Amino acid sequence: MLLLSIDWIFIIEKVVLILVIILSSFGVAAYATWGERKVAAIMQDRIGPARAGIFGLLQPLADGGKLFFKEEIVPDRSTRTLFILGPALFMVTALMTSAVIPWGPDFTMTIGGTERSVSLQVADINIGILYIFGVVSLGVYGIMLGGWSSNNKFSLLSAIRAASQSISYELAMGLSLIAVLMVTQTLSLREIVGQQHGFWSDGYFTWNFFKQPLAFLIFLVCSFAELNRAPFDMPECESELNMGYHQEYSSMKLGLYLFAEYINMFISSAVLSTVFFGGYNFPWMDQVQAAVPGGLFSIICVTVLMIKVVGFILFFMFIRWTLPRFRYDQLLNLGWKGLIPLALINLVITGGVILFFFNK
Amino acid sequence: MSLHEILFYFLSLMALVCALGVILSRNPVKSVLFLIATFFAISGHYVLMNAQFLAVVNIIVYAGAIMVLFLFVIMLMNLNADAEPQKSRLVQFAAVLSGGALFLVMIAALKTAGIHAEESKIDSSGEIGLIHNLGQVLFKEYVLPFEVSSVLFLSAMIGAMVIGKKEEARTEA
Amino acid sequence: MKPLIASAVFGVIMMFAALSVKEKKTFTLLATLLLVLLTGVNIYELMHIMNGEIPEALFNGMLKYGSFSIWFNTLMTGIALLYVLLCGKHIEKVGQHTGEYYGLIFFILCGANLLSGYNNLLILFLGIEIISIPQYILAGSDKRNLKSSEASLKYFLMGAFSTGILLMGIALLYGAMHTFDVSQFNFMEHNVDAMSLGGIFFIMVALGFKVSAAPMHFWTPDVYDGAPTPFTAIMATIVKAAIFVAFLRLFSETFGGISQHWTLVLSIVTALTLFVGNITAVFQQSVKRMLAYSSIAQAGFMLFAVLAVNATGFKGIIIYAVAYSVATIGMFAVLMKLKDYTYDGFNGLGRKHPLLAFTATIFLLSLAGIPLTGGFFAKYFVLTAVMEQGTGMMWLVIFALLMAAISAYYYFKVLMAMYFKKGEPELAIEVTTGDRFFLGLAAAAIIVIGVAPDILLAWLKN
Repeated sequence: MLLLSIDWIFIIEKVVLILVIILSSFGVAAYATWGERKVAAIMQDRIGPARAGIFGLLQPLADGGKLFFKEEIVPDRSTRTLFILGPALFMVTALMTSAVIPWGPDFTMTIGGTERSVSLQVADINIGILYIFGVVSLGVYGIMLGGWSSNNKFSLLSAIRAASQSISYELAMGLSLIAVLMVTQTLSLREIVGQQHGFWSDGYFTWNFFKQPLAFLIFLVCSFAELNRAPFDMPECESELNMGYHQEYSSMKLGLYLFAEYINMFISSAVLSTVFFGGYNFPWMDQVQAAVPGGLFSIICVTVLMIKVVGFILFFMFIRWTLPRFRYDQLLNLGWKGLIPLALINLVITGGVILFFFNK
Repeated sequence: MSLHEILFYFLSLMALVCALGVILSRNPVKSVLFLIATFFAISGHYVLMNAQFLAVVNIIVYAGAIMVLFLFVIMLMNLNADAEPQKSRLVQFAAVLSGGALFLVMIAALKTAGIHAEESKIDSSGEIGLIHNLGQVLFKEYVLPFEVSSVLFLSAMIGAMVIGKKEEARTEA
Repeated sequence: MKPLIASAVFGVIMMFAALSVKEKKTFTLLATLLLVLLTGVNIYELMHIMNGEIPEALFNGMLKYGSFSIWFNTLMTGIALLYVLLCGKHIEKVGQHTGEYYGLIFFILCGANLLSGYNNLLILFLGIEIISIPQYILAGSDKRNLKSSEASLKYFLMGAFSTGILLMGIALLYGAMHTFDVSQFNFMEHNVDAMSLGGIFFIMVALGFKVSAAPMHFWTPDVYDGAPTPFTAIMATIVKAAIFVAFLRLFSETFGGISQHWTLVLSIVTALTLFVGNITAVFQQSVKRMLAYSSIAQAGFMLFAVLAVNATGFKGIIIYAVAYSVATIGMFAVLMKLKDYTYDGFNGLGRKHPLLAFTATIFLLSLAGIPLTGGFFAKYFVLTAVMEQGTGMMWLVIFALLMAAISAYYYFKVLMAMYFKKGEPELAIEVTTGDRFFLGLAAAAIIVIGVAPDILLAWLKN
């Protein structure tokens, strides 16, 4: 099966993997909307969605169906092509990030008589973390284009807020990650996960969270800002900007914006778990691996990662329904005067510790 | 034609078309978007040369940060197609003439480049673009330019501060 | 190497001082101290060279400081010191950020240092940028003045464009030579082709822009006129001299072997620069704007040093840079004392403030190139440098002499106003004893150079 010197089975394998990841992203995002409403309800002592299905479990489907059948409105004075491009771009960038996350360990499988090692990662590029940064930094275009092309002053203000917010927090995020990279000595997410094997080795925790707690904190705060989630949801704060950049959108274009935000949250949780909380690793995984067949072990690993991801998603939700929104200048002050110096200090300390204690 | 070549021609075509789009489109926002697409095509070329680090940094720095600021400014100024100033015929003629002369010089210059192409061939097996090698070169051979550019950035930062900061009312006057 | 680090560190010190110091006078004092220190570091480095230490390439051939580079640096630091002593009061008046302005001036010196010692096109590029960016900022530092903002923006846009051309030239040269290291450039018959020549001409255009050679001079009058006067003084002198040194080193040392390919173009540029600068200066009403055009004209003379492609050219640029810089800074210092920048503002200055008028006379005579002032020997050296190369450039030398005669007209117009016209010149600022002393010092320096130019050349080896 070699045509154009391409390994076609490899392509098929990757296509299947991509489809599974994208579909499950949609699934998780859909149920995250349900989860968000339930969490909000519980925290406010309400019941939440309860009509569609048991516990309102069919609510996301109903919402999606509703959005599809709404009338599609393109404002008269908008820049039409960009107005349509905006939500599409936002969705695409949201989905692209998942390509470098290792969802589980490799397992072997027999296809067409030959044994193949199947990797649960779409692309193992040796600069995985930078790839994520690249895609995240592009995410803001969807918002900016949507906000500007709507030709609405609230949308424009929101787009500009989104741009300055994301650029400001990307810096602190990158600086906090550099400290982690100094510890891991690699940019490949696969190797970073590999280094966090198990939970305990050589008398210390393997997970990066324990090696770089400050970096984790900065990264976490920056994630909130990059996701435009409360308490940093400046671009769409209802009380100031009506609905922000998607004010003029309706129907599924609005749906794409709303949905992509939840996908972003899912991916961001996955990145947090992968970089800081060991990815698919869990305590005593060696013993488990010895006890169960390879395929089952991979499934267990994926499940473990998913549990971590769901944990982070719930955390994002708890914060949203607990903390009030920042003021815009407070947000920028925190980014430039708080987090960036903190990340730099963390960088210097990490460098010093590596130089004096681990310099072989 | 191998996959490598197909990709090369595709990316080159994309880069050229998008670059033309930058200067031909009337709407400045569209120009910026075309420029971003051009950066993507160039990043694609980097990947073909196995310089993944450069490719991603090109995206992060240019497409992700600088062009966002471009867009930012253009959106705030609300430039429209009809805001473009009219140029006189004479200026247009002079521009065409000098641009054409420059084009001729560049063609003449690059015509001879073929001779050297053999010696400095960079293909997908090259390793200079990988982050490890780049780091070694940057911090050993080119450490002085690297450090000196910090002075450059520092002065630019001071400039941003001096120009951007609100001037308090003058005490003397 | 040490002066380079020192200038960068001193810039940072000024920057941090801006955080804590409130009194503006303190900045001037601190800057003066640091400049004295920097001059000391330069002299220390110079002593090493004079004691026979052989200069070696630093950082894989990125930098190479010979006696010419270090001596030039020492002179520039000294002139910067004189500049701060003469113009410090006026810098304090420009805006709120005095500490930052001084920091930027130190960064300019850092860039000048790189330009005098570069041995690699990357460093040349960085040096030019480090010199340029502070200038864009200084030009726009008077934010309440629209002309200042216009000057800054205009300079920035045009400067960015010329930077692009410089990079293109460097890229083409790299393509032809396969290295950035200028000492490894090896021009043979087969590689003097469109690519390397294209690179050389691109670099010539970009550097010509930075030294405001015609026809790349269009920014100069507006920028020099619009920028706050104390910063015009540094832009027209130290910066210009530093870029000329880079220009000279690149074209004489590196491209000197193939000078037959580029001297014709450069001589036309020189003739144009002389013509445009001198003729337009005649028609100016404001002395500040006249000085801007005169700086274009003076750049034309400095281009002779580049055209010469010999050792006399290097001597010429040292004398020219010092004589021109001291005279221009002095002239600007006198100008800044006055309220009215037009010729009429000088009316009757000779009777009212004889010392100001007398020093201004010496500065103007030096700029015009009258014997017994530094300007005479400056012009003499650069013109003889070209003559040494044969008679092919005779037409240009004669043309330059003609232009020098024209330049006397507009310089003497100021003298006429000062001594032969009646008026009540208004001062913008009180002239203190310190001002008188340093103006006298600058005038004395010009006379000394005019009598014995060799003291500036004693420190040069071969």
